[in-house]
Amino acid sequence: MRGACAIVGMGVTAQGIGLDIEARELRTQAVDLALADAGVGRDAIDGYIHTYLDREDLRYMGLAPNFSLSMMTGGATPVASIIVAAAMIEAGQAELVACVYGQAQTSAAARAARGGHSIGAYSYGYASLFGLVGPAATHALHARRHMHLYGTTSRHLGAVAVTQRDYASVRPEALGYGKPITLADHQASPLIADPFRRLDCTRDTDGGCAVLVTTAARARSLNHKAVHILGAGMGHNIANWHQGRVYENHDNVAPARARAFRQAGMTIDDIHMAQLYDPFTISPLMQLEAYGFVREGHGGPFYADGGTGPDGRIPTNTGGGQLSAYYTTGFTGIIEALLQLRGQAGAGQLKRAGTALVSGHGMNAGVQNTWAHSTLILGNER
Amino acid sequence: MSAAATELGAIIRRFGGDPVVDLPFWEGCRDGVFLLHTCGICHQAYWPASRCVQHGDRSMSWTRAEGKGTLYTYTVLHKAYTPAMQGKVPYVVGVIQLAEGPFFHSNVAGCAPDAVRVGMPLVARMERHDSGLIVPIFYPL
Repeated sequence: MRGACAIVGMGVTAQGIGLDIEARELRTQAVDLALADAGVGRDAIDGYIHTYLDREDLRYMGLAPNFSLSMMTGGATPVASIIVAAAMIEAGQAELVACVYGQAQTSAAARAARGGHSIGAYSYGYASLFGLVGPAATHALHARRHMHLYGTTSRHLGAVAVTQRDYASVRPEALGYGKPITLADHQASPLIADPFRRLDCTRDTDGGCAVLVTTAARARSLNHKAVHILGAGMGHNIANWHQGRVYENHDNVAPARARAFRQAGMTIDDIHMAQLYDPFTISPLMQLEAYGFVREGHGGPFYADGGTGPDGRIPTNTGGGQLSAYYTTGFTGIIEALLQLRGQAGAGQLKRAGTALVSGHGMNAGVQNTWAHSTLILGNER
Repeated sequence: MSAAATELGAIIRRFGGDPVVDLPFWEGCRDGVFLLHTCGICHQAYWPASRCVQHGDRSMSWTRAEGKGTLYTYTVLHKAYTPAMQGKVPYVVGVIQLAEGPFFHSNVAGCAPDAVRVGMPLVARMERHDSGLIVPIFYPL
């Protein structure tokens, strides 16, 4: 696996609230930008993976791939789509695969399709009988358990929000650009789903992203900005549900981590940055523990002490993440890793940026409150 | 299927449940008993209905549970997301670990939200929900 495939192009459209651009157009613009970035023509794309479930846009995009897959495993999908792209290449089905996302979540059409609600009002089966609706409430159950077990506090969660906003505040492409927040701002923001306050939560944004995956050999012939796929893994928290351990575990990181690091031939000490799926502040905190960057239960103090800042032990969600940059349901962390590894993160560029761990997290059906998890280890050298 | 079962099934479906395999549970609530889907081989109890992780569907049946448990985790919601919760804000949604093992989502009632604690012992009372279902609501023991 290590180094067999590389990411040779990325496209990121405008990101924001109320862009008034159709989802299909966002996806198409993202593909155009990725093609230009890689310096290849439209005919180079011989495989197409559409993240999430919409009709394919191939005619509109002017593409002619050999296959078009639509993938859905919640917010774990973008990372998983890159794993599938590499697998399709290794299976001899394609040489250059586009992994594409684009949603206009804040558009009138998208809101109408959800009955006027935001993503924050998704329903999860029987729990909705008792008024439990939306991902904030389902993630709050994990946060409350973590607080009970380890003494994690709302101020610790606030440290996650402040750290990520600090990162976003120097990045012009982020919604939080030029808008730093303080811990006092966090503590003063209203409770939504206790222990989460408004500043613990992400919000819907519109935008498109695309990346192009190809063989290492093809990558060498294209440009010097290739980012190599060193390892990958997946896990699903249903395994912990069956053990009665679902609320102790944000995700089932263990099998994803083991497989990714085995493939990469690396250890946690070899990772320079983490880009972890962050729908809510508890999420990166618990994932840092699960990956072993910090001891179990110590994620809160680690954030409060600056462990995830630019000069910390493991800079995390360095573009502001989905909490403070923009919400592309899993592509946000991939794009930030690519920017950092290519040395293109501007005022947010890390000093040490040779390797990155990226995670995806999502999908949740019914009372079991379990999500899929996906891991990628990326590097700027094979 | 009887008319009553069909009506119950329609409500269950509306809340994302399975109107066929979970029907005995909701009929049990209506009749004042708390049932769990249990494997006759290893006695592992499940909610909602599913196959046993160890033994598949070889010996699954609905068996009577105590209707007691402890609060495993919870959230306090500050907005009424459903019609049933209008006028009840803030309200507590807890995950109760039943004495038989499974987790069960419900409201924790009979106690102020800021008095709710992880680990508190709770007991179910069957109460009428806005939807027409009879549902277990949990109270401090």
